[in-house]
Amino acid sequence: MAMADEPIVSIRDLYKLYRQGEIDVTALDNVSIDITRGEFVVLMGPSGSGKSTLLHIIAGVDRATRGKVLVQGINVANLTESELADWRNQNVGFVFQSFNLIPVLSAFENVELPLLLTQLNRRQRRQQAQAALELVGLSDRAHHRPDQLSGGQQQRVAIARALVTDPVLIVADEPTGNLDAKSAADVLSLLKGLTEQADKTVLMVTHDPKAASFGTRSLHLEKGEIVAG
Amino acid sequence: MTRLTFIAKNSLRNGRRALLTVSSVAVSCALLVTLLTLQRELTVPPESEAASLRIIARNKVSLAQPLPAKQLATIEKIPGVVAVTPFTFFGGNFRDETVTSFPQFAVDPARFRELLVEGKIIDGDYVEWVKDRTGCLVGADTVKRYGLKIGDRMRFTGTLYPCDLDLRISAVFQGTVDDRGLFFHHKLLDEATGDLGTVGTWYLRVASAEAANDVISRVNAAFANSSAEVRAETERAFQMGFVSMWGNVKILITSISSVVVFTLILVTVSTMSMAIRERFRELAILKALGFQRREIFSFILAESFGLACLGAGIGIGGAWSFWTFIDLQSLTRGFLPYFEVTPRIMATGATIAALLGIIASIAPSIAVGRMSVVDGLKTLD
Ligand SMILES: Nc1ncnc2c1ncn2[C@@H]1O[C@H](COP(=O)(O)OP(=O)(O)O)[C@@H](O)[C@H]1O
Ligand SMILES: [Mg+2]
Repeated sequence: MAMADEPIVSIRDLYKLYRQGEIDVTALDNVSIDITRGEFVVLMGPSGSGKSTLLHIIAGVDRATRGKVLVQGINVANLTESELADWRNQNVGFVFQSFNLIPVLSAFENVELPLLLTQLNRRQRRQQAQAALELVGLSDRAHHRPDQLSGGQQQRVAIARALVTDPVLIVADEPTGNLDAKSAADVLSLLKGLTEQADKTVLMVTHDPKAASFGTRSLHLEKGEIVAG
Repeated sequence: MTRLTFIAKNSLRNGRRALLTVSSVAVSCALLVTLLTLQRELTVPPESEAASLRIIARNKVSLAQPLPAKQLATIEKIPGVVAVTPFTFFGGNFRDETVTSFPQFAVDPARFRELLVEGKIIDGDYVEWVKDRTGCLVGADTVKRYGLKIGDRMRFTGTLYPCDLDLRISAVFQGTVDDRGLFFHHKLLDEATGDLGTVGTWYLRVASAEAANDVISRVNAAFANSSAEVRAETERAFQMGFVSMWGNVKILITSISSVVVFTLILVTVSTMSMAIRERFRELAILKALGFQRREIFSFILAESFGLACLGAGIGIGGAWSFWTFIDLQSLTRGFLPYFEVTPRIMATGATIAALLGIIASIAPSIAVGRMSVVDGLKTLD
């Protein structure tokens, strides 16, 4: 099974420079990593060390200044904006610190939202959204709006939205940052379960060592560089 | 959920703002439609086929200059003229009124019947009027408005002539383009003024609309180089010339309409920009989820267009029902007899609203197009 060992994400010599007036800020400096399918990789490091930047580049919402990003063998840097949008829809699920659900939509509709971009018909969309909500244990909250849900519930809805299109990669930027310990543990077990049972690959940024303990591997960033961890 | 339900939910997310936006578009559209209707009312004279069978001959110098009564003999003999009568505007104030609220004309009753082409006598007797020197023929609208009947006296204070009139209603007509007028014996006016030997204008009836142009040239030619040269024109042309006095009003109304449209654009553009700007973060999420830029543009456009069209529908529909079911003729004492909100005017209003919806979506679309997902995610809710 050579395929299984092929890295899902393969990064080589990645640089990201931000120009702020006259000063250049190096957000990522010569980063190279490989992530294989089913891994739960935790990205740690002090604030401003480039964690979010790296996550955004891998997820195809930001572009590197230099270097190569292969996701499932595709060089993301070569895709046009429009191709990248389609690619994200099919391959990446996002989970954010502040949940970022659409406030006017119900939990169910939020989960269904990415499916509007697929070829699925209405019935198939419903079934798939229903299944994703069940997986995160919130089918009984399907018709609640985000403001009628607790933070932990909102984040579980966000996870359902991230996995509803069945992507290979789920990226999560401090997903437990706004949650109490109990909700955080629920969310982390959910993500871990996805890697173990659904063979998803999760890349998660966190500050919290306790959260990091859920991962299968952790990477440390400091001033844009990967340091031994 | 479909894209349409998503757009609808977004449009109505801020209920109060949606309501205010829709109302301001509605009110502005209603105002615009009203202004356009008013403009049309003032510039388009009532159309009538009979109006092209009638010719008005006036003094070439100006309408206010009288014509010699002796011209009658010459005009009568002009080929193509079926009938001719003096036609002199009296301009008196009825009862205690301080304005001339409906026109009165001195005519020759014996010949005037031929000129009342579309008019029907609905009460009294035309022949009685011809016989009665102090009798008058009154339009049905005026009779109804003042609650008059056959035999009633109508007293007028002269404003153009230094004499008053005391008339008796002999007959009532209806069916002309303007059923407000009153007609009385020119002889009575001549007596009251001491026989000036003049008339205001001549009113001619021709056999056919085709003959009108020939008759006009013959009348003009007949008095060329005389002391009272004549300018003859069809009644329709005369009315058009008369309403050209409203030219300034037309410019005024056009200016006000432009200001209304301009204000409406400002309001809608700023509302739409606000509505989208406060949703930047959500739009960034949509982008992250894989929505294409053009799809996000179409959401913004649909929302903007939808709100503008909803407002336009309410405003234009409201204006139409209001002006259709209100009796403006009696409210304005016949000044605005029709005030018809035509399909063309409604279409103009709707087109402007539709364009407005499109214009209002441009700036937010550009802003959203420029926004990167990462920047959008950084904006606070
Ligand atoms: N849009 C930007 N413009 C300029 N500098 C930026 C921008 N985004 C991030 N940076 C800088 O890049 C560095 C890494 O940022 P980030 O990846 O957000 O760090 P982390 O997520 O680890 O806190 C920081 O020094 C930050 O100030
Ligand atoms: Mg960060």
